Amino acid sequence: MPPELDTRWFDPTRINLLVGILLFLAFLVINILRARAGGSFFIRPLAGLQALDEAIGRATEMGRPILYMPGLGDMSEVGTLASITIMGRVSRKVAELGCDMEVPCYDPMVMAIIDGVARQAYREVGREHDYKAGSVHYVSAQQFAYVAAVTGIMLRDRPAANIYMGSFYAESLFLAETGNLTGAIQIAGCDKPTQLPFFVCACDYTLLGEELFAAGAYIGREPVQLATIAAQDWAKALAMALIVLGLLLTALGHPELGQWLKVS
Amino acid sequence: MYLGPLVLTFVVGTVLIALYFIPNHAAQEVNAQLLLWATIVYAFALILGSVSLMGTHWRKIRLRAEGSFFSWVAIVALVATTLMGVVWGVAEKSPLDRFYNAVNSPLASTMFALLAFFIASAAFRAFRARNVEATLLLVTAVVMMIGRVSIGEFIWPGFPALTEWLLDVPNLAAKRAIAIGVGLGAISTALKIILGIERSYLGRQR
Repeated sequence: MPPELDTRWFDPTRINLLVGILLFLAFLVINILRARAGGSFFIRPLAGLQALDEAIGRATEMGRPILYMPGLGDMSEVGTLASITIMGRVSRKVAELGCDMEVPCYDPMVMAIIDGVARQAYREVGREHDYKAGSVHYVSAQQFAYVAAVTGIMLRDRPAANIYMGSFYAESLFLAETGNLTGAIQIAGCDKPTQLPFFVCACDYTLLGEELFAAGAYIGREPVQLATIAAQDWAKALAMALIVLGLLLTALGHPELGQWLKVS
Repeated sequence: MYLGPLVLTFVVGTVLIALYFIPNHAAQEVNAQLLLWATIVYAFALILGSVSLMGTHWRKIRLRAEGSFFSWVAIVALVATTLMGVVWGVAEKSPLDRFYNAVNSPLASTMFALLAFFIASAAFRAFRARNVEATLLLVTAVVMMIGRVSIGEFIWPGFPALTEWLLDVPNLAAKRAIAIGVGLGAISTALKIILGIERSYLGRQR
């Protein structure tokens, strides 16, 4: 007997996620409208991002390159997308100061996109001819082959600053410790909670989890981008309120909210 | 110039979100097809990657840069493995499979084994009691290490339970807090891209 085909047009067990996404969308629209109406948003200072300018300036003064690592994620990882946004802002600054930057990539598709982003950043500051073809390059899609190649670059070229932004896995400590040995200023941002302790130990500054996603907006300082961070904070406040309410109700013998919040 | 990619991103992003909520078999077939397209695009990107790899190493060889000998190794390995795969295939026991198992796997394992030494050096630096937080980290780490070895229970029977509590309560609470933040940040980034607020992946800053 052939397996029965699913003919439903909606999965009712995912209604909580749909409500969550729609609420988030509503928060986003409200805050964007606030930004367009001239509203201001307070974003707490992120030391790691403030240090980016310092790191690029230091590299320029020392005449040494900056090594930017976009992580091991592919284009389906949101951490990689956040990294590309940050990379765009960093390469703009690098282009303005005339510093060298090297971007070894793990994923060929990410490499092609980052190359385009870096070229465009140079074009926007009017220094298109200073862009060095090959500064964004592919290394390997093998985790430890990538580690070997990048640590080799660190030890040979002695970059003044190492910037790790994106999704990292077991290679995080290899890279960060080798970078630490070379004396480079190190700034990391990672969305994997299991790798964060390694970056905290070995780097000068670390963006923890969600700070990676806020970084692009923080550096750009455009009101609409900042509005998206405000929407994120509203959603976080709502999540906290729901968790506390769910706990209280469950303790009082009404587990319905707690059960509804569970993802199937 | 940028309208086409923006519309395409919006349509594909919206459709993929919708497909997550639609279990219908026809919709899931569309989902599978879209994922297949991604694989095909990746295969073409791999060609770009190989060209980039060759270019990078050829440049190093031409400039006689430090370590250019290793660039020769990389180029020869790339060409040799590609030829092995094309001529004899990639099946089990094929030359490429044997080469992979005999060379690549041991090298990767060797690299991974080095992690223990990196953990030791990072721990040494992190556990120096410079301030209250670092001292707390040091004490927690010592308790964790003692509680996780068999002699720990011999020293004090409460050590294993204490380590479990540390992992399941304060550690898990912090991990979940970060995970919730990451989840919301990921949704925010995805929506920004789908709605065209974030365009830097197109090479546009604003």
